[in-house]
Amino acid sequence: MRLTLPALIAHGRYGRRMGLGPESRINMLRNILTGLVRHERIETTWARADEVRIYAEKLIGYAKKGDTDEKAMKMASFWLTEKDLVHKLFKVLVPRLGSEQHGYTRVFQIPNRDSLDRAKMAVLELRGNPFPPLVTRQPDSNGTLLNQLLCGYRQEVTRSRAAGGD
Amino acid sequence: VSYLLFMCAVVPALAVQGPGIFPQPHRNEETEEHSFLDSIFWMAAPKKRRTIEINRCRRRNPQKLIETKTNIEPCSECGNLKQKHVLCSFCYEKVRRETAIIRGQIQAQEGKPLNNPAVETVVLYEGEKPADADAGKRIVERKRPRPSWFTQY
Repeated sequence: MRLTLPALIAHGRYGRRMGLGPESRINMLRNILTGLVRHERIETTWARADEVRIYAEKLIGYAKKGDTDEKAMKMASFWLTEKDLVHKLFKVLVPRLGSEQHGYTRVFQIPNRDSLDRAKMAVLELRGNPFPPLVTRQPDSNGTLLNQLLCGYRQEVTRSRAAGGD
Repeated sequence: VSYLLFMCAVVPALAVQGPGIFPQPHRNEETEEHSFLDSIFWMAAPKKRRTIEINRCRRRNPQKLIETKTNIEPCSECGNLKQKHVLCSFCYEKVRRETAIIRGQIQAQEGKPLNNPAVETVVLYEGEKPADADAGKRIVERKRPRPSWFTQY
């Protein structure tokens, strides 16, 4: 399952190299995923956020099979190192996110880290978290009184010009 | 050398006509030195001073200049500059601080570590009552009026 094709398929390779090796990479991503399930919004480097996204969506996909499914339970107990989060996953996250097929997580790039490495950072969050939203949609200002009056005035001007022209 | 001279004095010299000093073989070092010096003479060096006009042409051509960025725009909420594909730093900082405070309150409510209850969370500000939809949820109360950027839906 490839979420962002250009990002992942770099020169025909799937998945980035991280940490001290493949095992270290999985352990690191497991820790980040546990943090994501606990806090529902975390800041990491952009590459790690991109990788954790894949595993987060797969985990929730497995968890949707239900509490009793053996494979789902195995996955949850492996990927979530803190065991109180296994209950949270099945009882809270699945009902909240179960109606959709994909897109349980969102990633936004934030300004580079303040420390010397100036790393490319991202904030990774689960949909429907209780925190303030990171992106607010601008309300449509066409419906305001002033804008409606101006619209009407513009229409009047064009009508009078057309009539005057004729 | 002193031993050889001594031997020449004791032993009768050979009756051979010839030059007193044997001809020394032509030393290679001198030829090598000559060719090295010669090779120096053929190295590249500027013939003329580069004029300031030519220097300016080289230093200021577009390949050497810093590229102008066209992906900077003002944020529609606060007016600070931001990159198009990056969240506004000012707006994000506001949200981050509020999130940190809420998380601090959650931690205080939980008490000990690894005590996350398997229920949803809802944040209520000053003067807000839990709605019907917030029936079984964990309530986090914030003692301030609701900020305008934290919409309820």
